[in-house]
Amino acid sequence: MTFTSRRYRNILICAAIAASLVLLNWLFDMALRDASFLSGWLLIIGMAFLTIYNLRKKFPFLPLIPSAYWLQFHVYLGFIVIVLFLLHTSMEFPRGPFEITFWLLFFAVAGSGVIGIFITRNLPGRLQQRHGERLIFERIPVFRADLAEQVRELAMKSVTEISSSTIADYYAVRLNPYFAEPRNFSSHLFQSERPLVNLRREIRSIQRYLNKRGREILDDIEVHVIAKDNLDYPYALQLVLKGWLFVHIPLTYSLMIFALMHVVLVYAFAGRTL
Amino acid sequence: MAKAKTIHLPERWDRPFGPDMTDEDVDRVVALRIFENIDESAFPASQAFRDIIKNDARLVTYQRGDIVVREGDYGSSVFVIMRGQAAVILDTQADDKKERRLARRQRTFGSAFAQLWTNAKMPEVRDIATYDAETDLNVRTEADEKRAFIPDVDSFLAKIKIHTLNEGQNFGEIAALSRTPRTATVVAKSDLEMVEMRWQGLREIRRRDNRFRELIDRLYRERSLSRHLGESPLLSHLDESTLEMVAAKTIFETHGDFDWWSSYKRLASKDSEEVLKQEPVIAEQGAYVDGLIMVRSGFARITQRLDHGERTVGYASTNDVFGLDEIVHHWRDGGPLRLGQTLRAIGYVDILRVPTAMVEEHILPTVPAHLLPEPLRSKSTPAWQERGDEALLSQSLFDFLVDNRTINGTQTMLINTDRCTGCDDCVRACSSTHNNNPRFVRHGPVHGNLQVTNACMHCTDPVCLIGCPTGAIGRNAADGRVMIDDRTCIGCGTCANSCPYNNIRLVEIRDEEGNFILDSESNVPIVKVTKCDLCFGQFGGPACQRACPHDALIRINMNDQQKLAEWVNR
Repeated sequence: MTFTSRRYRNILICAAIAASLVLLNWLFDMALRDASFLSGWLLIIGMAFLTIYNLRKKFPFLPLIPSAYWLQFHVYLGFIVIVLFLLHTSMEFPRGPFEITFWLLFFAVAGSGVIGIFITRNLPGRLQQRHGERLIFERIPVFRADLAEQVRELAMKSVTEISSSTIADYYAVRLNPYFAEPRNFSSHLFQSERPLVNLRREIRSIQRYLNKRGREILDDIEVHVIAKDNLDYPYALQLVLKGWLFVHIPLTYSLMIFALMHVVLVYAFAGRTL
Repeated sequence: MAKAKTIHLPERWDRPFGPDMTDEDVDRVVALRIFENIDESAFPASQAFRDIIKNDARLVTYQRGDIVVREGDYGSSVFVIMRGQAAVILDTQADDKKERRLARRQRTFGSAFAQLWTNAKMPEVRDIATYDAETDLNVRTEADEKRAFIPDVDSFLAKIKIHTLNEGQNFGEIAALSRTPRTATVVAKSDLEMVEMRWQGLREIRRRDNRFRELIDRLYRERSLSRHLGESPLLSHLDESTLEMVAAKTIFETHGDFDWWSSYKRLASKDSEEVLKQEPVIAEQGAYVDGLIMVRSGFARITQRLDHGERTVGYASTNDVFGLDEIVHHWRDGGPLRLGQTLRAIGYVDILRVPTAMVEEHILPTVPAHLLPEPLRSKSTPAWQERGDEALLSQSLFDFLVDNRTINGTQTMLINTDRCTGCDDCVRACSSTHNNNPRFVRHGPVHGNLQVTNACMHCTDPVCLIGCPTGAIGRNAADGRVMIDDRTCIGCGTCANSCPYNNIRLVEIRDEEGNFILDSESNVPIVKVTKCDLCFGQFGGPACQRACPHDALIRINMNDQQKLAEWVNR
């Protein structure tokens, strides 16, 4: 089965379930029963299922359902839970600090989940476009440090070889900070090469003040600048791919705490139960 | 700070194949007919012939009815009968009547779960107390497995076709030499005493003594030929006398280089034309079809001329045939007996060449129509087209897989880089199931969006096994996965250097406190080789595949082109 056909199938199933829930909710209303208890409990069960996906990853040695199936379930259940939440809140804005925080947390988790799916399906394909191979995230700082050292040596060498401090000064002011850490995060994320183009233009503007050997060294430095940019690009993308979970997961646990408090409060103050 | 633990540097024969071999046993083995003409002076003092027998061989006994080796199982040892008789089962249909051997070290649910807190905190921690244990030797040999037996062996053997082996005769050389599964089941016809020699011993004697090598190689050729012909679906409808006649006329050929991995590494950076030049031509396009070529073991590339170059249109491995289309076309329609494609040896390949006249006269008339190929069609794909109408994979991917010999893998780890987010769940899962040590690197050669990851592929032809001096690396008898016995490994790195795909790594081992374990004499860290073991003993198969949330990773047999294409073209 292709990914596309699987997606269509799952969307259909998901839509059918969501429609059934809307219908059920409507039937409860028509029967003059309080549908919020039904949607509330379905919601909390759904949220619990979504949360335990993270636990599944802690037990790779147990014969649990493959993670890929879990993720599919997690994604589509997530959409159903959003529908349930809208039904449960009757699509009204919250009132009071507790409800507002709870409401915001829910949409922060749902939003980060949707964004997560978007980036995990879109960024990987871009990752190896510049290199032809996939760089391991943890190795990028090592490669960057190598480049920085090579450029430092070129800059130092230029002082003695061309009897001029132009390149060394430029290195100290502009290149040293550039090589010291990842740069142009947002530009890489949005695939803009403008910062690199500007930096190269700046480098080329120095050429006219150098002799032949100086220009050779500068050309070499420019190659290193491009190589550094080629490291920053996958670094930025991989940082987002790894980082979004550090938003999604802590928010999820916060949301679950609020959800449990909500249940307690509802039963404490509802006055009656179904 | 705690003092580092020391052990003596492991050496080749620290863990002999049979710990109980006495000098008297060695005398008995050396007196066997197969060894009686061995020239002991050809062996260096460090690897004397008697020492090889003492350390790389062992005496094993089987009771009447015991299954010694089973067809399809993996093994790399040769057996020589000292006393008794063994029956080689020639009737392959009889195999399903025998119970399967089920020896497998499987974790309990509790011990699997306990890995959550029992895994070591430091990398590559070893319990050195186990290095001194004399029990539970190598993991891969037949004799270590729980033995299955046939209760009423006489009546069982009476009903089927067998070949009886007597004292002094040997068996097992086919699997040992070609690194392929056992080609026949052998049962103890009477109580048996045998000497079992592991591959390392066989290799050394074969290397030093020409007569021994010729004897073993001749047996290998003769037995391979008859077994392979007998198992081919094309020949399965022949009666016994016709099959014997065909076998008598069939030629066994070996092409390419047995130690192909060393030349392959040199060729890795060359262009495709240079690579093709290094692959010996077995049968050339346009040449007269002198016979049907049946691949016995190894790999071959099938190419077709296109303008000034050669296009790879397929690859052939064990049990594939080449030239059948042309012969059938000639036999059925009177077409020309000219090969439409070229067959080249990738690495090393054993083939059988059945003369065309024999095929047309004796084989084709008995073959059911559905086994015969469709009529030949003169259809070619233009050079610029990535994929032909009937091709499963794109041309460039096909070239990539064949050129890099990825086709050797039976459990190759492929990653779809368009879906892999680099979350490293696969690496963490691997680490969690291997005492906090990942056994692969999420990196490797890439073609398009397909990465062939640096994880052991558990090759069809595992060349890493060839040079191991101790037998630490071997195939698991039951499922063929390539495994390393950590206690037998001396860290020489021969297997790591032999692996054409860089999937075996040397690591420095530590004790529970994180200190390196040192050699007691030189004080240098002890090293061992490690690699993927496909989560041997764990639940549910390879943890890496099960842990991937994005459907980006698969362990796949590269011979299953249909499944490969389905996965790649999702």
